[in-house]
Amino acid sequence: MSAVVAEHGVRSGAGEVRLRGVGVRFDFDGQGRVLTPVLSHLRRRRGSAWGLSDVDLHLEPGSALALVGATGSGKTTLLRVLARVLPPDAGEAEIEGRVGSLLAADAGLQLLLTGRENSELLGVLAGQSVREARAGLEAVAERSRLGDAFDRPVHTYSAGMRARLGLAVIQSISPRVLLLDEVFEALDHEFRGIVERFARGLRERGGIVVAAGHDHDALSRICPQAAWLEGGRVRMQGPFAEVIAAYRAA
Amino acid sequence: MVAALVRSDLRIRYGRGKVRVLKWLLDPVAALGIYLVLVAVVLDRSGTAAGLSLACAIVPFQLLITSVLNALQAVILRSSIIVNMGFRRTLIPLSSVATESVAVLASFTMLPLMMLVYGVAPTAAVLWVPVAFAVTVALAAALAYPAALIGVWYPEMVPFSVSLLRALFFIAPGIIALDAITGTARDLLPINPFTGIFELFRHALLYGDSPPAWQVLVPLGFAAAILALCLPLYRREQGELAKLVG
Repeated sequence: MSAVVAEHGVRSGAGEVRLRGVGVRFDFDGQGRVLTPVLSHLRRRRGSAWGLSDVDLHLEPGSALALVGATGSGKTTLLRVLARVLPPDAGEAEIEGRVGSLLAADAGLQLLLTGRENSELLGVLAGQSVREARAGLEAVAERSRLGDAFDRPVHTYSAGMRARLGLAVIQSISPRVLLLDEVFEALDHEFRGIVERFARGLRERGGIVVAAGHDHDALSRICPQAAWLEGGRVRMQGPFAEVIAAYRAA
Repeated sequence: MVAALVRSDLRIRYGRGKVRVLKWLLDPVAALGIYLVLVAVVLDRSGTAAGLSLACAIVPFQLLITSVLNALQAVILRSSIIVNMGFRRTLIPLSSVATESVAVLASFTMLPLMMLVYGVAPTAAVLWVPVAFAVTVALAAALAYPAALIGVWYPEMVPFSVSLLRALFFIAPGIIALDAITGTARDLLPINPFTGIFELFRHALLYGDSPPAWQVLVPLGFAAAILALCLPLYRREQGELAKLVG
């Protein structure tokens, strides 16, 4: 079993995703605490669970895939592998192109920093130079439509405002792969439209979109394809309407 | 990337606007001043420039303990970023040390202040201060990696880790200079890496002469050994951090 994730260095070409037999395992000790490979030398392993198992996926430039499935089916774990947040414990993952991800409710934001300060930090962490990140701040402020709140600490924001800021930062880093986890649930009608337009534009430019959530209507407007996850495995993959119909019927 | 992380840390700690410089200056004075007042005024300790001698230990110790404290919490505090995006997480402990190095710079004003109070004139040995500072930062950086791992592996051990570090201060010549200690303790204390650092500052600012080589080599040796052991562990573990904090 090998585990290879493309390094953070980014190719400027179109995005591409290849997963071959990818699995992510969670080990636990006797108290139910998560063990890592190093920690398992210090604490005895009492149980294991595969959060993701034997996942094969090939996303070509210009494609978009919706991930559907019950809570705990592995959608977020799969997105984290694609975001290079989690390395696979089995199989291989190759993700080419800069990744923009909104995977957490706080979208990676530091609550005590302002929207402006978060934008700069996240831009740099995503691979921009400080100069690039600073040059893009006004564009982020405009895109997020936060107004004066852009210079207020993020802990004063609603969930929707945080998602808008997170998306505006992602737009500023020009990702080739866009990952969204239950983002639509937090956004108002107007901003859903903005996300949809951005995702469509990204695909037209050869980018890739992978979105997970339970708002199937919103997902259908972005993703022509879907994958239904169950117990960490891909149970079905194909055209969105067919997969959703099978999922709802199950 | 480290600079961006440090800036964000400092903004969180000191806020924004003109008042933040005042906070930056007053913060270490509030933290260290009490020790120095205790020694110089309340205890009225006899000996050569007791307050300056103490400051030579407390100021670098402040950098060491705040770096470790920061690193112990660094991964947890950045969990929202860690579970959202991939980036070089080996820089997290390093950014803790860089943050505290900037923060503690204000504490260094205590050193010339104490020299002034005790009428100690600077000599050419003051050129050893940057070396002493660099050695302190190196040891702090080495300690930051195991601290970051302990913070996520055994969060219940965080208070114990801090107590352990404080114990290292008290079994080093922090309150009393090495020259004033005799017997077996005098022979054993140099093994503690803090001893070399405290004495380096004393040679540079109080004794006004060049320090013996061991005062540089012992702390650096400890730093190298800790890094050799813990950096590979941290690098292996960094990909798994999202499992621990996610």
